[in-house]
Amino acid sequence: EHFRMKALILVGGFGTRLRPLTLSVPKPLVEFANKPMILHQIEALKAIGVSEVVLAINYQPEVMLNFLKDFETKLGITITCSQETEPLGTAGPLALARDKLIDDSGEPFFVLNSDVISEYPLKQMIEFHKSHGGEASIMVTKVDEPSKYGVVVTEESTGKVERFVEKPKLFVGNKINAGIYLLNPSVLDRIELRPTSIEKEVFPKIAAEKMLFAMVLPGFWMDIGQPKDYITGLRLYLDSLRKNASSKLATGTHVVGNVLVDESAKIGEGCLIGPDVAIGPGCVIESGVRLSRCTVMRGVRIKKHACVSGSIIGWHSTVGQWARVENMTILGEDVHVCDEIYSNGGVVLPHKEIKSSILKPEIQKFQLKLNNKKE
Amino acid sequence: MEAAVEKVVAVIMVGGPTKGTRFRPLSFNTPEPLFPLAGQPMIPNLAQVLLIGFYEERDFSLYVSSISNDLKVPIRYLREDKPHGSAGGFYYFRDIIMEDDPSHIFLLNFDICCSFPLHNMLEAHRRFGKMGTLLVIRVSAESANQFGELVADPVTKEVLHYTEKPETFVSDLINCGVYVFTPEVFSAIQDVFSCREDIVRATAYFDFFKRISKDFVRLDQDILSPLAGKKQLYTYETMEFWEQIKTPGMSLKCSALYLAQFNFASPHLLATGDGTKSATIVGNVYVHPSAKVHSTAKIGPNVSISANVRVAAGVRLISCIILDDVEIKENAVVMHAIVGWKSSLGRWSRVQASILAEGDYSSKLGITILGEAVTVEDEVVVTNSIILPNKTLNLSVQDEIIL
Repeated sequence: EHFRMKALILVGGFGTRLRPLTLSVPKPLVEFANKPMILHQIEALKAIGVSEVVLAINYQPEVMLNFLKDFETKLGITITCSQETEPLGTAGPLALARDKLIDDSGEPFFVLNSDVISEYPLKQMIEFHKSHGGEASIMVTKVDEPSKYGVVVTEESTGKVERFVEKPKLFVGNKINAGIYLLNPSVLDRIELRPTSIEKEVFPKIAAEKMLFAMVLPGFWMDIGQPKDYITGLRLYLDSLRKNASSKLATGTHVVGNVLVDESAKIGEGCLIGPDVAIGPGCVIESGVRLSRCTVMRGVRIKKHACVSGSIIGWHSTVGQWARVENMTILGEDVHVCDEIYSNGGVVLPHKEIKSSILKPEIQKFQLKLNNKKE
Repeated sequence: MEAAVEKVVAVIMVGGPTKGTRFRPLSFNTPEPLFPLAGQPMIPNLAQVLLIGFYEERDFSLYVSSISNDLKVPIRYLREDKPHGSAGGFYYFRDIIMEDDPSHIFLLNFDICCSFPLHNMLEAHRRFGKMGTLLVIRVSAESANQFGELVADPVTKEVLHYTEKPETFVSDLINCGVYVFTPEVFSAIQDVFSCREDIVRATAYFDFFKRISKDFVRLDQDILSPLAGKKQLYTYETMEFWEQIKTPGMSLKCSALYLAQFNFASPHLLATGDGTKSATIVGNVYVHPSAKVHSTAKIGPNVSISANVRVAAGVRLISCIILDDVEIKENAVVMHAIVGWKSSLGRWSRVQASILAEGDYSSKLGITILGEAVTVEDEVVVTNSIILPNKTLNLSVQDEIIL
C-alpha cells in the first residue's frame, strides 16, 4: 500500500576514504558482498514499495547513469539524480530535491545515508512512524564508543527525542544516529536551500517541538565508508545472511564460516576459504589458496598457494603464487602482486605491479612512469 | 723430500658457550650443512675426526652422530673441562689425536667457511717437509686487521712474521684458520710451557704469571708468532672463497657459497626436479636423502634441507637452511631464514626476512632464525625476528626477539 512512497539517498562526494577503490568507480557502485553498495539500499526500498528513488550527489552523474538505467529496468523502480553544484551539507540536498520528493499523496519519504548497511527494517519503521504520529522518525543504533559520534538522547518508553549531543565528553547515552530517516513532507518546509546540517539545525528544532521520535535499529549496523569498517561490515552482513537466507552462503569442505561466492567464480583444490569472505563474479581462486576476512572483487585471479586476509582485492587484480596479502591491504583496480611478495597493509593505486614486499602499512608511492605494468 | 703419508686425523676446534651465547636461538652458529668438510670429497686415509670444545656433551651428541653418518668416518667430541685456548685443547687431547699414529694432522676452526683445499694443502706441506702449513688468503687492506696477519716469503712460502689483529697495517695476507701439522707440533707447544715456567720462576712477576693457567695456550700468539721466521711454518694460498661465520646472517651467505661449490665440484650431490615426479628445484639445492619433499613444492635457490625433514604440498623455500626433523606443512613459505631442529611450521605460515631493502633501516637482520623445537601455527607470519627454542607462535611477529 506504500507504492507511492519516495526516498532520497544521500550519496555525497568522491568517497575519498574508500580510495583507491573509488578512483576507478563512484562510491555507490563499489560492490559490497558482491552487490553495488547503493543497490543494497535500493532493493530494500523497493521491497517495501517505494516507487521512486532520488540520489543526492555532488559530482557528475554521467558515470552512474548507465548503471542506474540497468537497475531501473531490473527492479521496476524510478531512479533520478539530484546534483548539488555547491556543497549543501546533510539537509540542504533535501531542499534541492523537494519537487521530486513531494507529491499530492502526502506520504512521508525515506532519507538514507549511502555508506550505511543494515537489515533495513523499513516496514517496522513505517509502523513506528504512524503509531507515534510525529513529524519525523530516525533510526538509532547502539555503539560501544558513543563519543566518536553524535549521541541521540531519547525518552525510553516512547522514543521521543529529547536532544542531540555531538561527540559528548561525558556519557549521556549510547545510541547514535544510524542515518536512516522517515520524514513527513512538512519537514521540507524547515529546510532552506543552503548548506545545512540535519543533525545540528533541523532535527533539534523538531525535537524541541516534541515531534521527533527514534527507533532502535534491530540487527546490525555499519558505516562502511572506510576499509576497516567495510571489512567488519562484511562479517556483520554475512552473519545476518546466515540467519535469514543461509542458502546464499557457500558450503563445502573448503569453506569455513560465512562465505559468499558468485556462481561464476572458480575455486581450486586444497583451498581454505573463510570466514567472512566475498568472492565476486569471474574470479579464479587457484589451488592451495587461503582466504579469510577479505573481499575479492570481480575478475580477480588469486594464484596457487597464496594467502589473503583482512584485505580488499580490487577488480581484475592478481595475487601471485605464494604471495601473502594481509592486514588491511587495499589493492585498486588492475593491480598485480608478483609471486612470493608480502604485503602488510599496502594501499596500492590502480594499474600497478608490486615487485617488492611491503613490510609496514603504507601507500605505494605514486609513480610518474607512463607504463608500470609488465606486458 | 716428501714425507710419507700414512694416516691422517682432522681436529676441529668448536669452542663453547660463553656468557653471551647462552641466549642464542641455536646451540651453535654453525648448523650442520655448514659443517666444515660436509660434502667434500673424502680425504684419503682419514682415520677419524675429532671435535674439541667445551660445550655440554649432550648438545653435541645428536650433531655428531648425524655428521658421522654422512661422512662415514668415526667422529668424536672431546670436551675440555675448561677453556684451554685455541692450542691448549689441541695439546690437552694429544694422546687421543695420536692414538692411530697419524703422520699428519689437520687443524680447523669450526666457524670457517671455505673450500677446504685439504688435498692441495697436504701436498704442499709434504713438499715443504716442515712442521706446519697454514692456509692463507689475501683480503682487502681495510679488513685485514680483523684477523691474524702474516708475511710470507714469496719464493719459499715460509711464514716470516705473524701478528694477531694488529693496530697498524702489516700485511694483506691473513690466516684462514686451517692448518696441517706433523706430530712435532706437540713438542713445540710443550716448549712454550717450559718457557713459561722459566719466566715465572725467573722474574719478579711471579704473581702475575701464576694467574695465567699453565695449560692455556693460544695458537696464534703462543705458537705461530714465535715460530715465524724459524723455517718451521709455511703457507698455502687459496684463491677461492673464505669467510668467517661471525653472525647468523652470514650462515645463509656461506650456505650459498657451499652449495655453489657442490655445483662445481660434485653436482650429483645437488637436487634436481621439475615438478613432475619430484619437487621443482631452482638453482643450487641440497636435500638430504632421508628428507621427504612433496612434488608440488618449489625449492630454491640456495636451500639446504637436512635429515628427516618433511616438506608438504605447495611449500615454497627460498634461500634458507632447514635443520633435522623439521616439519613444514602445506603452502608454507620460508625465505632468508634458518629453521632449527625439530621445529614445525603450520599451513600457510610464513617465515621470512627482508633482504635489506633500500631505505629500510628497521630490518637490520636480513635473516630470521627459529631456534630448536619452535612451533609456528597456521597462517602466522614471522618477519626479521629471532625466536628462542621451544616457543610456540600463534600471532605474527615482525622485527622482534622472542624469548
